[in-house]
Amino acid sequence: MKKDKTGYRNVSENPCNMCMPLGGILALKGIEGSMVLLHGSQGCATYMRRTISEHYNEPIDVASTSLNEKGTVFGGEDNFKKGLDNIRLVYQPEIIGVLTTCLAETIGEDIERMAKEYIKDREIEGFPIISAPTPGYAGTQAEGYFSTLRKIIMGLAKETKKNKKINVIVPHISTADLREIKRILASMDIEAILLPDYSDTLDAPYTKTYERIVSGGTKVQDIASMSGSQATIEMAEAIDDVISPGAFLKQEYGVPLYRIPLPVGLKNTDIFINTLKQITGSVIPLDLSAERGRLLDGMIDSHKHNFQGIAAIFGEPEHVLSAVTLCMENGIFPQVIATGSKTHRLEDLLYESLAESEQDYHIMNDTDFSHIREKCKNSGVNIAIGHSEGKYLTEKEGIPLVRYGFPIHDRIGGQRLLSVGYTGSLSFLDRITNTLLDHKYINYRSTMLQKYYDTRS
Amino acid sequence: MAINSKKLDEILDLYPSKVKRNRKNHIVVRDTTTVQEIEANTRTVPGIITNRGCAFAGCKGVVLGPLKDMIHIVHGPIGCGYYAWATRRNKAQSDDPKNNYISYCFSTDMQESDIVFGGEKKLAKVIDEVVEIFHPKAITISATCPVGLIGDDLNAVAKAAEAKHLIKILSFNCEGYKGVSQSAGHHIANNGLVEHVIGSGDMEEASGKYPINLLGEYNIGGDGWEIARVLKDIGYDIISVMTGDGSYEELKNAHVSDLNLVQCHRSINYIAEMLETKYGTPWLKVNFIGVQSTIESLRNMALYFGDQDLINKTEEVIAREIAVVESVIDQYRMICQGKTAFCFVGGSRGHHYQGLFAELGIETILAGYEFAHRDDYEGRDVLPHIKTDADSKNIPDLKVTQDEQRFRLKLSPERAEELKEKIPLSQYKGLIQDMKDGTIMVDDLNHFETEEFIKILKPDIFASGVKDKYVIQKMGIPSKQLHSYDYSGPYAGFRGAMKFAEDVANSFISPTWNFITPPWKNEPLLEGKIEEGK
Repeated sequence: MKKDKTGYRNVSENPCNMCMPLGGILALKGIEGSMVLLHGSQGCATYMRRTISEHYNEPIDVASTSLNEKGTVFGGEDNFKKGLDNIRLVYQPEIIGVLTTCLAETIGEDIERMAKEYIKDREIEGFPIISAPTPGYAGTQAEGYFSTLRKIIMGLAKETKKNKKINVIVPHISTADLREIKRILASMDIEAILLPDYSDTLDAPYTKTYERIVSGGTKVQDIASMSGSQATIEMAEAIDDVISPGAFLKQEYGVPLYRIPLPVGLKNTDIFINTLKQITGSVIPLDLSAERGRLLDGMIDSHKHNFQGIAAIFGEPEHVLSAVTLCMENGIFPQVIATGSKTHRLEDLLYESLAESEQDYHIMNDTDFSHIREKCKNSGVNIAIGHSEGKYLTEKEGIPLVRYGFPIHDRIGGQRLLSVGYTGSLSFLDRITNTLLDHKYINYRSTMLQKYYDTRS
Repeated sequence: MAINSKKLDEILDLYPSKVKRNRKNHIVVRDTTTVQEIEANTRTVPGIITNRGCAFAGCKGVVLGPLKDMIHIVHGPIGCGYYAWATRRNKAQSDDPKNNYISYCFSTDMQESDIVFGGEKKLAKVIDEVVEIFHPKAITISATCPVGLIGDDLNAVAKAAEAKHLIKILSFNCEGYKGVSQSAGHHIANNGLVEHVIGSGDMEEASGKYPINLLGEYNIGGDGWEIARVLKDIGYDIISVMTGDGSYEELKNAHVSDLNLVQCHRSINYIAEMLETKYGTPWLKVNFIGVQSTIESLRNMALYFGDQDLINKTEEVIAREIAVVESVIDQYRMICQGKTAFCFVGGSRGHHYQGLFAELGIETILAGYEFAHRDDYEGRDVLPHIKTDADSKNIPDLKVTQDEQRFRLKLSPERAEELKEKIPLSQYKGLIQDMKDGTIMVDDLNHFETEEFIKILKPDIFASGVKDKYVIQKMGIPSKQLHSYDYSGPYAGFRGAMKFAEDVANSFISPTWNFITPPWKNEPLLEGKIEEGK
């Protein structure tokens, strides 16, 4: 094989992403009283539970229809029904989300029809069963996450009276980030419906009694009323309209949609706060202004360290975009920008801000770590920002990693890292700056020795 | 409180009646006065939060993955490859780091178009690419669910690529939906290794004395290294390990060993049996978890070879190790004495760790396996009585025959019979032999039952995996992951026992637990209220 210039390869070597149903599980975990059933081979549920558990350090109960060879020949409806029966009896959920897998999609299972018939058959009219097709081969966890959120709204939203609430739809961010967004909204006296809200369900406090279905999550009736909200803020710039929950609410119910970046960094947080102000007319509280001032002060304090940073940023599109913005407003150059998702939106969205740059940069989509590493090699990249698989860059190329996104399985607390809002951005920036400093202090003496002593002799 | 049949009924009453009947057959309250049966290796109940995985996980994840000098290509959508990427902590070291692919993940990353038009061409290209980039000596290809459904012919692609690149390329049809659990995948991998790898080497005779293979040892957290340290000190020539820190090059010559040791019976007994038929090599069930089990295994091995020098050397090494280990274990036992454990792991550790727990003064009151068969519970004597169902028939047995050139009877039939009286030669008695009266043996335990059993039996520690770890910890009980060892280990052999004792004891005495009181500990024995005296 001759390597062509674009470096295209058929082989995926050390992937940068996971598959669609995993994102679907995360979306459903943010709905109150929910349980998830994966329609397919039981290995999918087991693997994904393991992966999510390692990040969240919480029980991740996901059921499977456990299809086997017989199911692949005769269809899996029987298992599907039994699975739903057992979940309802043992877990008594208020809502069940059914996701497909590669297996179910390849044999052409129509879960929407099956769910409808099940409801009729068991005479449980009104019991919400959300079915979301999430074939593993059709996208990454990021697409699975948003398309499932859209399906949840499609399944629950009803024509309703207009009200003053705001819908806030977030990408897969940390539980601390969810709480921070809620705090900001509360501080501005804004009533909002946050979707999804797994801040409790995936980060549950230790209590004396164990709850089989953890309390918390966006309420089903709140989701039903999202159609009547005065606006939707969707923190997702890179997703297509077809999987956008906000776009559905706009098309179907005429809810105005504001698509904004994840509020990481000063500029992006300004956009968030300003959008809120614009929609609701709320006053910006003094405390929030002070937080902005503190972020700015911190940025000034660390700017002389930050400009030495040359970063490789990778992960889900929204994480990547937000980290790129934070880096750029602090003088850290994002030389390698990569996502496993298939999207050209990164290039489009970043073109303007990067066009003026005289340094070379690489934006890669649908990529893996072998390509990311290739671009980082001998390129001056001295800091990596992304999920735990980036530890590979540390091991092979000595580039320190600031953990951000999902999954963070080789450190404790990845699920509660704060990175949004003015306060979160400063905390994220500090983590980046300190990693640069760590790297510098470890190498400082040897670099000086090399520069001034060794060359002299 | 103990669990009797009535109590068990109460727990299972929450299930629909059919599920209740099903699950009841998978749970045994041990009564040593009767012969008890358990249902195992049957279909998982849909919608139950099982801990079982799939055939792909058993084949690529467990058996093939640890072979360090082969490139393992996952033919399928990216998820399967990603989720099986370095998640089992099977350590490997190589003299030639360029020929060690243990930390890599290779996938054909199938897309929608591949599902529609077939993925064979992409797979062929992927093989070409990895050969060009890495120059591996051998490659495996593992199938995922869609592959079998769309009819990709892995075998044909592998054959063509083999002819093109002149290296060994094995294909495994281990689609996730095959069988009822990982177990199907173990079997598929076992078949492939016997058919295409073991015996393909040129070696006719081992160079060292007492040549052995170690089967079903996956070197989690370095277990295999600790076992090998002791075996080498005694003087064994380890031809190959299947498959922890394992190597394709070594595996090729595994036929020259005089004895096969079987650590994990479930995942590798097929190879052990087939090698006995093909090359006349008997297998010995060993257990290197726990000090006493390790000693017993070493003595049994020495007895098999029957050489006085070897027996003496074995005792010498045992004495040397005991001198170090005993006092350490004694110390930790003071912390652990009198405590109780649940031990629910995959297919052998649910049994293996009981001895080690006992050495620490911890009694195992509930044990079971995720994906074992009846013989792992009830012993191999039950094998002729196991009914084969449609699911097990889907994984064909590989028929092997005597290798005309290489078959060599290692023991005279008389000597074999004599040994079988003393040591578990080609025999495994199962988990049940160590389960005491009133303890619970449970197959394919799920989250709901986990919770209920904890509430009633209130164990002091629960040994299992990451999926139930946080259920257990949320209930205020220390958990010990016996799949990944919570990033610790090794736990096997003598030094492993010390490490395990340290880890378990420390999880009991961590000050963290002082802040947690499980709710039942606060429940008053008598209900009532204190009245003020008049």
